[in-house]
Amino acid sequence: MNKNDIIINTSKLTKYYGKQLGIEDVNLEVKRGEVFGYLGPNGSGKTTTIRVLLDFIRPTRGSAMVFDLEARQSSVEIHRRVGYLNGELALWENMTGEDLLKYLGNLRGGLDWKYVKELAARFQCDLPRRIQGLSLGNKQKLGLLQAFMHKPELLILDEPTNGLDPLMQHQFYDLLTETKKEGRTVFLSSHILPEVEKVCDRVGIIRQGKLVTVETIEKLKSHSVRKLEIHFARTIPKDKFVNVPGVLDIIVQDSSLTCTVVGSLDALVKAAAQFEVINIISHEPALEEIFLTYYNEGINHVK
Amino acid sequence: MLNNIFLKTLRDQSRSLLMWGTYLVALAVLMALFFPTISHMTAFNQYLSQLPAGMKEMFGSGIVDYTSPTGYFSTELFSMMVPLLLLVFGIGFGANAIAGDEEKGTLGFLLASPLPRWRVVVAKFGVMTLGMVLLGLFFWAGLGITVLAMHINISLLKLAEATLGAGLLALVFGSLSFLSGCIKGNKGMSMGIASGLAVLTYLLNTLGGLVNGLKDYRFLSPFYHYLEPDTLNNGLSPLHILVLSGLIIVFFAFSIPAFVRRDITR
Repeated sequence: MNKNDIIINTSKLTKYYGKQLGIEDVNLEVKRGEVFGYLGPNGSGKTTTIRVLLDFIRPTRGSAMVFDLEARQSSVEIHRRVGYLNGELALWENMTGEDLLKYLGNLRGGLDWKYVKELAARFQCDLPRRIQGLSLGNKQKLGLLQAFMHKPELLILDEPTNGLDPLMQHQFYDLLTETKKEGRTVFLSSHILPEVEKVCDRVGIIRQGKLVTVETIEKLKSHSVRKLEIHFARTIPKDKFVNVPGVLDIIVQDSSLTCTVVGSLDALVKAAAQFEVINIISHEPALEEIFLTYYNEGINHVK
Repeated sequence: MLNNIFLKTLRDQSRSLLMWGTYLVALAVLMALFFPTISHMTAFNQYLSQLPAGMKEMFGSGIVDYTSPTGYFSTELFSMMVPLLLLVFGIGFGANAIAGDEEKGTLGFLLASPLPRWRVVVAKFGVMTLGMVLLGLFFWAGLGITVLAMHINISLLKLAEATLGAGLLALVFGSLSFLSGCIKGNKGMSMGIASGLAVLTYLLNTLGGLVNGLKDYRFLSPFYHYLEPDTLNNGLSPLHILVLSGLIIVFFAFSIPAFVRRDITR
């Protein structure tokens, strides 16, 4: 692959805050035109990584390159080509949304205001209103706008859907798709698995400062873990389910069955179809469960 | 007003500047209006001459003749009130400049812009300096106009020189507070350090005039370099001005690497 097609490249990137670990030996490679999800629970080191990429903080060791430029030496050039959304968004409350965008645009040497208006209309932003009176979701929309408004080559978005209602989330996902189609790159952090599954091509999972794995979404889904609850019309025999591939922790109580499913649901659904099914309840896996799979199953089975 | 960090910061400060400016002008006008009354009360001088040395020191060294224009304005404005007001403004602004944005979480916008970090420091420091100049001008103009209108016999140039001295003194502590914000990013701490040192060095200078052992250390206090020349009577003393300006420049110069090198985690 051409060097120019690697947009973010970190090697053994490590950051300690005093003695406290931020991230350790993170090796990331994000390619041009992909949407890369950076998944991890709060406090796992997502924001630390992002802040090193933007030269807000300096690594203890290791290297961080963006557009094949060294993050610290070329921070101004990198910032020119990056749109960034802060994870804990705070705005100057005494400004209007319009003033905020104009100001940040001016710091970038001017904007295509027509495009800003277009984005604002898409996200139903009330630009003339003072930020002080805006809801969390409306502030977040302004945060997204300022990240996208100069059509940057790379978007670094820290928890971009914080506080967005579902309609706006979809608007945002659409925008991501368009961005990708234009050959631009998105690096987004999240602690919500379904969101990452929906929009990302590849996912890096970080936990306690260490990058656990980088996988395509298909692969991630193939060992995703789900808790499933099936209610039947009548009492069912447990032994019909015990040998179904990918099904673990089976508990049968009269007419209901609970179990954990790894990967595809197909086999289980087919086994259940022999009986009269009243209801299937699926619990989205918590992030921690995924990590457990990576630590237990991952280490035992996959490797 | 949204073209760059300098103008945006100035815009944010415009209300506060207007407020401080009004206070200072009001103070100047009121004090000048009182002068004719005081100038006839010659008994004041007798009373003052009987004060213990310590008390005299507290009123400032300019107090030779309270009923003369220079004695009166030295005591009432330049020995305490004006530097105090400018100090509070300076320390507050200095603490807020970098650390304020950092604590609010809005500093990230500036850092993510395609500007080198030192530009943020220079722009904010520039606004603090300009703000101080504006407040000094407000005050001087207010005082000058009133003095002229009332035919009080005092040199406008000397008033300007004394105001400049007070502004420099305030900027010393303002830039110290600014520097501390650049080093630690903690607004409360910056204010605490700068105002704490202001109080300590003020006491050092005042007590230094009384206590023999402290006399040799008075030069360490910025207040000494502001008060000692008795500017309203003698005009500016270049050496003392140089010391105050030097401190400001040093604090400013250290602010840049302190901020450029630091990890910004908020």
